Amino acid sequence: MKIRKYVVCLVGLTMGLGTTAALSQDLIVNGQGGPYEDLIQEAIIKPFMAETGLTVLYDPVGSASQDYAKIKASNGFPGWDVNVMTAAQSLDGCKDGLLAPITAHQVPNLASIDTAVQRLAGDCGAVHELQYVALLYRTDKIQPAPTSWNALGDPELDGKIVLPQFRNAMAAQMLQIYSAAAGNDPNDVDPGFSKMVELAPRALAFVETSALMDPYIRDGEAWAMPYYSGRSALMKAEGLPVDFIVPEEGTVPLIATLNVPVNAEHKEAAYRFIDYWLSKTGQESWAQAYQVGTARPDVDLPAEFRANQLTTREDIQKLILPDLATMATRIPEWSDRWEREVVPAAR
Amino acid sequence: MVISQSVSAAPRRRRLQLGGYVPLIPPTTILLLFFALPVGMMIGLSLQSATPGIFSLEHYADFFTDDLALDGLQRTLIMSGIVALCVTTMAYPIAYFLARSTSRWRAIVFGIAIAPELAGVVLRTYGWLVILEKNGFINTMLMQMGLIQEPLPLMNNMFGAVVGLTHVLLPFGILSLLTSLQGIDQNLEKSAQILGASRLSVLRHVVLPLSLPGIISSFLIAFTLSASAYATPALLGGMRFRVLATMIYNEVMVLVNWPAAAVMAIVLLVIVVAIAFLSARTENRIVSRLHVR
Repeated sequence: MKIRKYVVCLVGLTMGLGTTAALSQDLIVNGQGGPYEDLIQEAIIKPFMAETGLTVLYDPVGSASQDYAKIKASNGFPGWDVNVMTAAQSLDGCKDGLLAPITAHQVPNLASIDTAVQRLAGDCGAVHELQYVALLYRTDKIQPAPTSWNALGDPELDGKIVLPQFRNAMAAQMLQIYSAAAGNDPNDVDPGFSKMVELAPRALAFVETSALMDPYIRDGEAWAMPYYSGRSALMKAEGLPVDFIVPEEGTVPLIATLNVPVNAEHKEAAYRFIDYWLSKTGQESWAQAYQVGTARPDVDLPAEFRANQLTTREDIQKLILPDLATMATRIPEWSDRWEREVVPAAR
Repeated sequence: MVISQSVSAAPRRRRLQLGGYVPLIPPTTILLLFFALPVGMMIGLSLQSATPGIFSLEHYADFFTDDLALDGLQRTLIMSGIVALCVTTMAYPIAYFLARSTSRWRAIVFGIAIAPELAGVVLRTYGWLVILEKNGFINTMLMQMGLIQEPLPLMNNMFGAVVGLTHVLLPFGILSLLTSLQGIDQNLEKSAQILGASRLSVLRHVVLPLSLPGIISSFLIAFTLSASAYATPALLGGMRFRVLATMIYNEVMVLVNWPAAAVMAIVLLVIVVAIAFLSARTENRIVSRLHVR
C-alpha cells in the first residue's frame, strides 16, 4: 500500500511539475543563440508580449539543421512552437509532413509578403528575412576593394581567407555561385567544385558555423571570406575596418523562414507570433535590428539601408536563384563529393 | 503433521527463489526501455529500404563499399587503440603510487588525477584548443625560444584528438588500475624483496602480472569511450580527421540520413562489443591461470 502511495505521489508531482512548466509560457520559439538572441528579444519578442499579453520562452539551442533533425526525430513535436529555419528546410519539412502549412487565413500578414519570394519557400515557411552571401573583406588590408569572387583566389590572399565547411549552408551556396559564374545552372556544380578545390589549399581554415567564422576577420587573421549580408552589416556597423559587396558574378539569397512543427502544442499562439513578425512594424524593426532584408515591399526603410540589403522584388530577381527543391535532393551527393575532393585539398 | 510441513515448505522455497528476482525488475525494465528498445529501433532503421515497408541490407552494402566510410572506421579504431595505450601507460604509475604510497601527497595526487573529471569534456577540450592551436601556448613558446620557425601542426589531425582524449579519459584508467592494484596482497611484494628480488623485478614479475586484469579493464574502458567520443575528435581533430562518431553526427544533423547513421552506429557497437567480449575472455583466462599458480 505504501509503495502505491509513493508511486501516486511521484506521478502526481511529475505531472504537476510538467503542467506548471507548460502553463508558465504560451509559446516556445526556437532560434539562434549569441547576439541574435538579444536582438530577437528586443526587436520582436518583448514588443509581441507587450501587445498580446502572451508569454514567450526563447530556446536558443541548435542550428537550423540540428533543429530540423530534432523535428524529424520527434515526428513534428520537438518541444517548441515556432522555428527559425531556411526555405530549403521549409520545402523539405513540408514534403515530409513535418511542418504545418501556413496560410493567409491563419497569418493575415502573409498576404503582404512578396508572392514570388514566398513561393520559393513553399507552403510551410513564412519568409521573414532575406540575406545574401556577400564577399566580406578587411578594408585596411585589401585595397582597392575587390569586385569579383575570384579575389578569394588572389595569391596575395594565400592563407588569408576563411571558407565554410560543408555543414554550413554557405558551402553549397558557394558551389552554386561559382557554377553560375561559369555559365552553368547553379545546381550543376562541376565548376563550383573545381573552384573550391583550387581555393581549399589557400584557406586559413574551413569553419563549421557562421558565428565561428566571425573572429577570423574580426581579429585580422583573415582578410576576406564569404559571409551573410546581415552579419557583415552588423560587423561594419560596429566600426570594424570591414566592408561587404555583391561581386560582379552575382550571388545567391538566404531566404529565412518561420515554421510551425506539425504537432506543435501552441499553434494558435505560434500563428499570432508569426503574424506579428511579418507585420509592417515587425519587419521594419527586425530588418534594422539584424541588418537584413525583407520580402515585405511596403516597409519604410532608409535608402542607405536599402542599398545594401534585399528589400524589393527587383533586388531578388537580380540574384542567382537556384531551384531549392533540386538542391535539397543533391545535398547528399555534394556532401560526399566535398569529402572526396575539397577536404583532401585543404591545407 | 510431518507431511503437511514438507508440502508447505516447497512453495515457500519457490516463493523465496522468485523473490530473489524482484530487485532485478527495475534495472531490467530500465535497461530494456532505454537500451534494448533504442538499439532494436536502430537496427530496424538500418534495415529500412527506400521502398517503405521493405527491409534490405543496402545501407550495410553502401557502408562496406564506401572507401570514405571504411577510412573513418579505420581512423576510429587506430585512434581508440592509441588513446587506450596512452591512457593505460600513463595511468599505471599514478595508480601504483596511489595504491602503495602512504605519503601525505597521496591525497593531493589523487585529487589532481581525478579533478579533470569535474570539468566538462567540452571545457577540457577547449583548454587543449588554446594550448595546441597554431598560435597557441606550445607553438608560441617554441617559436619564442627559437626552436621552430613555423608552427607545428598540433591540432586538426590525429595527434590533437589523441592528446585531448588521453587527458579526458586518464581518470578512468587511473580508477580502473587503482582498484586492481589495491587488490594485490602487498605481502607478495615484500616476500619477493626478502628473497632478494630488486624493486624492478618485483614490479615486472609480481605486480605487473597480477595487475593484468586492471590493465585490460583500463585499456577496454579507454578504447570504448574514445571510439564513441564526439566532442574531442570534432574539436581537436578538425575537418580532415573524421571518425565514426563525427560521421554519424553529419549523417543525422546535416544529411538527415538516419539509416546510414544507424548502420555506422551498429558497426561501431558490434566492434566495441566484440573487443569487450574478447578482453573479458582474456581477463578471465589470466585470472584463472594466476589462481592455478
